[in-house]
Amino acid sequence: MTKQRHNTDADQQTVFIVDDDASICEGLSNLLEALGMKAEPYSSAEMFFEHWDSARSGCLLLDGRLPGMTGVEFHDKMLQAGSTLPIIFMTAHGDIPMVRKVMKSGAIEFLTKPFPKEELLHAIEQAFTIDRDRRREEKILNSIRGRAASLTEREREVMSMVTAGMLNKQIAAELNLSEIMVKTHRRHVMDKMGAESLADLVKLSERIKMP
Amino acid sequence: MCLFGKTVASVYDAFMKRLTADQLSQWTMRYGVRPGAIAGFFVFVAFLWTLLFQHAIAYPYLFLFYGAVMGSAWFGGILAGFLAVIFSSLIIAFFFVPPFLSMTIAEPSQTYFAAFIFSAIAITLVSFALRRSETAVRNARDQLEARVLERTAELQQSNLDLLESGRRLRMLTDAIPQQMWSANAGGIIEYCNQHLIDYVGHPVEGALEEAFSSFLHSVDERVFRQVWHSALETGKAFEVEARVLSAAGNYRWFLIRSIPQLSADGAIARWYGIHIDIEQQYRAQQGLIQAQGKLARLSRILSMGELAASIAHELNQPLTAVVTHSYACRQWLRANPANIERAADTADKIVQESTRASAVVARVRALFRKDDFVREARNLNSLIQELVRLLRDDAIRRNVSIELVLAEDLPKADLDPVQIQQVFLNLVLNAMDAMAEASEPRQLTIRTIKQADSMIQMTVEDRGTGLTPEVAARIFEPFFSTKANGTGMGLAICRSIIEAHEGRIWATESAGGGTVFHITLPVSS
Repeated sequence: MTKQRHNTDADQQTVFIVDDDASICEGLSNLLEALGMKAEPYSSAEMFFEHWDSARSGCLLLDGRLPGMTGVEFHDKMLQAGSTLPIIFMTAHGDIPMVRKVMKSGAIEFLTKPFPKEELLHAIEQAFTIDRDRRREEKILNSIRGRAASLTEREREVMSMVTAGMLNKQIAAELNLSEIMVKTHRRHVMDKMGAESLADLVKLSERIKMP
Repeated sequence: MCLFGKTVASVYDAFMKRLTADQLSQWTMRYGVRPGAIAGFFVFVAFLWTLLFQHAIAYPYLFLFYGAVMGSAWFGGILAGFLAVIFSSLIIAFFFVPPFLSMTIAEPSQTYFAAFIFSAIAITLVSFALRRSETAVRNARDQLEARVLERTAELQQSNLDLLESGRRLRMLTDAIPQQMWSANAGGIIEYCNQHLIDYVGHPVEGALEEAFSSFLHSVDERVFRQVWHSALETGKAFEVEARVLSAAGNYRWFLIRSIPQLSADGAIARWYGIHIDIEQQYRAQQGLIQAQGKLARLSRILSMGELAASIAHELNQPLTAVVTHSYACRQWLRANPANIERAADTADKIVQESTRASAVVARVRALFRKDDFVREARNLNSLIQELVRLLRDDAIRRNVSIELVLAEDLPKADLDPVQIQQVFLNLVLNAMDAMAEASEPRQLTIRTIKQADSMIQMTVEDRGTGLTPEVAARIFEPFFSTKANGTGMGLAICRSIIEAHEGRIWATESAGGGTVFHITLPVSS
């Protein structure tokens, strides 16, 4: 299964490991490597941020007790930097208030050391899926936004009126145009946006929240 | 000569300048007019009487003139006396001595006349002397009377002052919001202030301990009696904390404090006592002790919890590494083809991490083993005596008598005095607790024994409820307690302390039904 993902994903997903204990980093990266995954260990939050590229996909395996920075602070810093990398927290002793804080701050999973391999893999898989979906969504949105940007001023006006449910006749009256002209603009909008039907167009405009 | 004359003149001037007219008239009055008038009056009276009676009595004039001289000297002083002698002589010579009416005196009368003059002078002197002495006596008497009056007034004033100061003192002792008393050297109460009377509801009279037994709590009364008796023996100030029964029927804690007043020869003259209400303080203190106990227990639990967490973290790190490496190792072996090299590397890592985990365990054990004990060569007897002194009040309150049977010439032992006293305190308090529900006599016996084989032994024996075999078997185990709120650590700590001293601690059944704790310690080398 993992092999399969490895082959299908052109841009291979990476597990970024941040733990101040070198032996943990080593153990985890050894295990992930044995499972055919790509793992990158970092011994501190600073080092991770130094090498970090928001374009790289994957997930973060984070120790809950980092020197100089709590896991929650780390998460906040990442959000500020605009990252959507899913985080899996690891801690030696599951103290309840920290778990609550971490889960609230958006971590997807919480592991108590030492944890079975299955739990770790399950969490990583989940995180990868979330990251992949998020990135795919982002890609689609970007293409829709690109297409919307190619519309002329008039076409955009027509599109917003069409998606608001107005008839050609009403749009013509509103914009002081002939019905023929409205129909032409409408066809251009459909072509440029790549929409097959009115329903498609409404969905697209909803996704990019066009006015 | 001229110079001498000038000097005399200047002295005279100076004298006259000082002598004012007023002084001059006083002078004249005192040394001229007054004695002259008195002498003249008496001599004239004598002359008249002589004229009247000269034919009836032979020479009466002499006695009359003697009287005039005497009277003059008496009333007018010596000057008047002499003037009277002169006046009398002249009158007698002129009128009454032949030839009459002439100043000449006939031959036969000359002797008599001279005798008169001399006797008159003598009378003057005697009369004057008498008068003077009489005056002196009268003056002395007057002075005496004046002084007696003065002293009487003074005495009256000082009596008033004394009464006033007594009254003030009483007001003062009543104004101070404290209960006070004073007793004589033997402890018979002489005075107690209104506050004390008001509080206990009746006058406090008679012997101190008898009077106090009526309002002290029976437990505290025993303490008071002991302290009072030793104060009587040593003559030293004392203080006792005791519950005092109020007229309303409830007890409050008081600090009874007394100091002796010493007389000049150093003997005790009087005892002064004051009762200070410490109920609030006592309650606050009790609350504080309880709070401290709770806090200590809580902090012990907290620190144990924290310690456990940090040990868990320390152990978890290598264990996590071991677990993940093990998974990896299996994964390398399962791969097709199996990656033997990576698997072997990973196995090495597993060994490394496991070693690290066991090092953590060793470190934790080292943390709990104390190798840095204090060791002093100390006499166990003196340590015991010191502690028993501290426990005396507690023992009396719990109605426990502590008997010490200490071996003479007990050799010293190398020990940590604080820790050994802690062990000892634990055993004594346990023994007292064990006897809390036992019937009397609640006797606690502490013995020290010198053993032949360079060991010393101490036993603490109670007459409590004793131990069941099950309890006896587990009594030194940590977290084992028979008390409702015991930590179960007391005897466990005792054992670890004694064993660290290379000694032994065990418990046996006592012949009297209670428990005996035995401790052996090696003698100092």
